[in-house]
Amino acid sequence: MENVSKSFGHVNAVDDMSFYVTKGSLFSFLGTNGAGKSTVISIILTALQPDSGSVTVNGFTVGKEDEVIRKEIGVVFQESLLDPLLSVQENLEIRAQLYGMAKQERLAAIQRCAEIVDIHSILKRRYGKLSGGQKRRVDIARALLHQPKILLLDEPTTGLDPQSRQQIWKMIGHLQKEHGMTVFLTTHYIEEAANSDFVIVIKEGRIIAKGTPIDLKQQYSADRLFITTTDHIALRTHFQRDHVQYQEETGGYTIDLPNTLAAIPILTTYQSLISSFEVRKSSLDDVFIRIHDRKDV
Amino acid sequence: MLIFAKRNLLLYFRDKSAVFFSLLAVLILIALYVFFLGDLIADGVPDFPAKHWLLLSWIIAGVITVTSVTTTLGAFSVMVNDQATNAYKDFRVTPIKPPQLLGGYIISSLSIGFLMCIMTLLVANAMLLATGEPLLSFTQLIQSVGVLFLAVLTASSMTSLLVIFFKTSHAFAAASTVIGTLIGFLTGIYIPIGTLPAYLQSMIHIFPISHIAALLRQILMDAPMTEAFAQAPVEMKESFQLNMGVVFKVNGWHISPLVSVMYLLLITIIFFMLSTSVMKYTRR
Repeated sequence: MENVSKSFGHVNAVDDMSFYVTKGSLFSFLGTNGAGKSTVISIILTALQPDSGSVTVNGFTVGKEDEVIRKEIGVVFQESLLDPLLSVQENLEIRAQLYGMAKQERLAAIQRCAEIVDIHSILKRRYGKLSGGQKRRVDIARALLHQPKILLLDEPTTGLDPQSRQQIWKMIGHLQKEHGMTVFLTTHYIEEAANSDFVIVIKEGRIIAKGTPIDLKQQYSADRLFITTTDHIALRTHFQRDHVQYQEETGGYTIDLPNTLAAIPILTTYQSLISSFEVRKSSLDDVFIRIHDRKDV
Repeated sequence: MLIFAKRNLLLYFRDKSAVFFSLLAVLILIALYVFFLGDLIADGVPDFPAKHWLLLSWIIAGVITVTSVTTTLGAFSVMVNDQATNAYKDFRVTPIKPPQLLGGYIISSLSIGFLMCIMTLLVANAMLLATGEPLLSFTQLIQSVGVLFLAVLTASSMTSLLVIFFKTSHAFAAASTVIGTLIGFLTGIYIPIGTLPAYLQSMIHIFPISHIAALLRQILMDAPMTEAFAQAPVEMKESFQLNMGVVFKVNGWHISPLVSVMYLLLITIIFFMLSTSVMKYTRR
């Protein structure tokens, strides 16, 4: 079953975008600030109406079956939006009631969600007094109250310390694998997108790249060979003679490679001159910047 | 809708400063009376029996009227806050609909206003007891509660329109204080209406909240007035009533309590309709 498919034109925020998310997958929406990520989220959430095009969530159309869609989706917003003056328990109870849950059902739901995100110890504390990471966990619990099939997270780890970030990531992975939820998230940390099944990179409201993280990496990354030597002059002369393109770096030389294996012939040729070497695979960050700075988009 | 109203109530009472600010105008008013307005008004009228009782009842009516406006307004601080902090976004993803949200804010405003007014009424009773005056009778209490119900309805409908225009909590807090102070003038509570120029008197007659004050005065001052003017000519009682704003006289017509009640109901309906349509318009 295919869930979200949409295409719509918009002046700025989202420009004629189409994509789909496979059920049960972890899907990342990558883009810098202002690329249109939140707008897309708002549209899927039925909070904004697209100017043109159509959006389908789990077979329900946005704009026509908004109420059903709202029951299917759990959302974690970029900002922490629960009431700071109320305790975590009170906050969760009120939100559960808004979904029409009866008392027993409500308490069971809170128990279940508290279990998943491990917030039992802070249930009685005021939401406003919690740390960023704790708040985020409560936000996720709130999003799970009504047992949605799809979880939407808008920059869930922005502003968190590395430890909390990792914790949140574990939870998201757990939800996707153990509970079979479809997870849709936006981020501007590319290393987070590396954990997902499929990545879409957007810029100025348009999709500029898509694929699995590995695909993207292979497509856009470049490997580089880094060599150090004791005999600089000899190595440089050899390079010039053989027309090898190189750049000087502190302590050594780098050569761009079409792939990792291309390093072997170079290494064998100059073996006697090399004191050490390293093949550097480009990080996802490099990939992201490379995609983002492409001239043709 | 009720669940949402409950949440708003909980939030309002958790925020001690919101409660304080909504009562600030009332506290200022009481301080003004204690320090100089009380004496000023007492000097302005001739001596007659039960004077203290009568004037105290007049003041109580004014204080309760101001309470009805400032507390219903203060209760809407939750709504302004939700707008300012984007908290409403989370409600828009739940099955609850926007009109129900507005309904929830209004219900919480009504309940907070009503509760606070009843409390003020009880405090007023204690004040009467403390100064050795007779307590309010059971009928008076029932009648006042009835008027209070109408009062918070009207006040809440008018303030609901007002709050839509405030986007930050700071602006709202400042405006609440200004409104709380102004309301005393607009309803002839600081200074008896009789001492004001004609155009201000007309303004007070038109301003709906003044009718709440008048209705309350009619109820609360009934007993002391009977005692005070037992020996006096009817004209004297009538001129006192007009002077103190117990009864309004517009174009030679005395406004009966029924007319005041009808006027308040009409205003309530108009303002609720206005605020729902403005809300729809601004959401777009």
